[in-house]
Amino acid sequence: MANKPTAYNNRLGLKGWVYAGNYTFERYLYIGHRLSGLGLIAYMVLHIIETANRMRGEEAWAALMGLFASPVFKIVEYLLFAAAVFHAMNGVRLLLVELGFFLGKPQEPIFPYKSSVMKHRPLTYIIMLLAGLLMALGGSSLFFK
Amino acid sequence: MTDTKPITFRIRRYDPDVDTIPHWEEHKLNVPDGMTVLEALHEIKAEQAPTLAWRSSCRMGVCGSCGMFINHLPMLACQTQVLHLGTDVVTVAPLPNYDNVKDLVPNLEPLIQKHAAIKPFIILSNSKEIDEPTGEFIQTPEQRDEYSQFTFCIKCGLCLAACPTVATDPLFLGPQALAQAYRYTVDNRDCGLQERLEAIDAFHGLYQCHMAGACSQACPKGVDPAFGIQLLKRTLVLDSIGFGKKKSSLARVMPLADVVKAIEEFAPPPRTV
Amino acid sequence: MRETRLWSLHILVIPVIAVLLGMHFAVQHYAPVFYGMSVEKARDFATMIERGKSTAQFVVYILLLAAGLYHGLYGTRGIIRELPLSPALAKVVDWGILTVGVLIFALGTYVTWWTFVHPGV
Repeated sequence: MANKPTAYNNRLGLKGWVYAGNYTFERYLYIGHRLSGLGLIAYMVLHIIETANRMRGEEAWAALMGLFASPVFKIVEYLLFAAAVFHAMNGVRLLLVELGFFLGKPQEPIFPYKSSVMKHRPLTYIIMLLAGLLMALGGSSLFFK
Repeated sequence: MTDTKPITFRIRRYDPDVDTIPHWEEHKLNVPDGMTVLEALHEIKAEQAPTLAWRSSCRMGVCGSCGMFINHLPMLACQTQVLHLGTDVVTVAPLPNYDNVKDLVPNLEPLIQKHAAIKPFIILSNSKEIDEPTGEFIQTPEQRDEYSQFTFCIKCGLCLAACPTVATDPLFLGPQALAQAYRYTVDNRDCGLQERLEAIDAFHGLYQCHMAGACSQACPKGVDPAFGIQLLKRTLVLDSIGFGKKKSSLARVMPLADVVKAIEEFAPPPRTV
Repeated sequence: MRETRLWSLHILVIPVIAVLLGMHFAVQHYAPVFYGMSVEKARDFATMIERGKSTAQFVVYILLLAAGLYHGLYGTRGIIRELPLSPALAKVVDWGILTVGVLIFALGTYVTWWTFVHPGV
C-alpha cells in the first residue's frame, strides 16, 4: 500500500492546448495563434537558411527558385500567407485587448454576466472578417492572375 | 407532479485504494425540471452509488466547493440545472488540472498556494499604520468600483480547470491568483505592487496568460479573471516605463478628527420617541 | 521587471515587423504593382544582387531579421517553457533559444552583407 499513489494526476496536458471543445470562439483563436506563430517562425528560420543559398552562386539560386515555382510550393506559399494574415490580424486584437482596451470598465457582476470575451466580441468578428477578406484577396491574386 | 426526463449520468469514478486509473459509471435518473446536477448526484448516491464521493456545501453558488467538469466544461454542480444542459447523457468528471483525490474530488491545494503567493492583502507603505492608525482611509465610490468586481471570487478553482496554460504548466499562477493580484494592486489603499512582482513578473506569472478567455467563460460569479489579468498587464507595463500610478498611503489617511466630524455630519436624525 | 521588459519588447517590435514585412512583401510578391517587373524577374539572381546593394534595403533587412526573430523566438520560448520542465531544463531551453536566435541572426546578417558588397552580375 505504501507505494500506491494517493491521487490521480488529472492535468489535461497538451490536450488542454489543442482541444477547445465547448469553449468560446476566442479559445479556438488561441490555438490558431499558437499554430500559425509556430509555423511562421519555423518558416522564417528555414527562409533565412534557404536564401543563404545565393552564396553558392547563380545556378544554385536559380535551381531553388525553380523548385519554388512548382504548384506544391504555391499552395505552401498560400498557407504561409494565410497564417501570416491570421496571426497578424488576431495579433492586433490581442494587442488591444491585452493592454486593456475594448474591455469596458470593471463593474459589479450582475447575472447574466457579460465577460470581457463577450465585451470585445464585436471587435473579434470585425477583425476575423477582415482577415478572411485579406486571405481571399491574397488567394485570388496568387492563384488567378 | 412535474414532468421528468430520463437522463443518463456518466460519472467518473476513482478510488485511490483500489484503482490505478479512473473509470466511468453510468446511472439513469428521471430528472424533473429545475433539478441541479448536485441534487442529481445526491439522488444517485442515495439510491444507486452509495460510495460516490464529491465535495459540496452551500448548494447556492457561494462556497465554491462543488466545481466539476460537467459536459466537458467546468461548472458549479449546484448552479447547473440538468435539463438546461440539453443533452440526454450528462458527463460528470472531477475538475481537470488538479490532482484527483477521489471520484469527483479535486485537490484544490495548488489554487490556495498560488492565491497566497500574490500576497492577497492590502500592503501599506507605512506598516506602522496597521498597529497605530493615525486615521481612516479615504476611498471614493469610483476608487472602489475599480476593484469590486474582482472581490466576488469564491475560490472554486473553475478558472484554473479551464485555463489552457495551467493544462501543462503546474507552476503558472493561473487566472484566480492573477486577478486577485490586480484586485489588490489597483486598490488605492495598497502600495504592494513591488512586493508582488517577484511572483507575477516571473516566467510562470502574468505573461503566460494569452487571453484565450476560457477562465472568464467558466467563472460562475462574473469575476471575469481574464479582464483583471489584462488590466494587470497594462498596470505592469506602465509601471515599468515610469508611468505607473504613484501611491502614497499617508496622503490617503483621513485624520481621526476629520473622521469624527464626518461621523457627526452623517449622524442619524435625533430620536423622536 | 524582467518578464515585463521581454513581453513589452515583443509588443514593441510588432509595428517594425508590420511595416518592414509589408515592404518585403511588396518587393517580392507585388513587384508587378510596385516596380513594374514580373515576380519571376524580382526573384532573379541578378535583380536580387542589385537590390541588395542599396543601403536602405540592407538596413531594412537587418531590422526585420532582428525584430522578426525576437518576436518569433520569444513566442516559441513561451510555448516550450509552458511544458512541465525541470528548472535545469528550463534554463537549457532559454539559452538554447537565445543561441539559435543569435546564430540565425548572424547567418542572415552575413548573407545580407555578402549581397551588399557583391561585385554584381
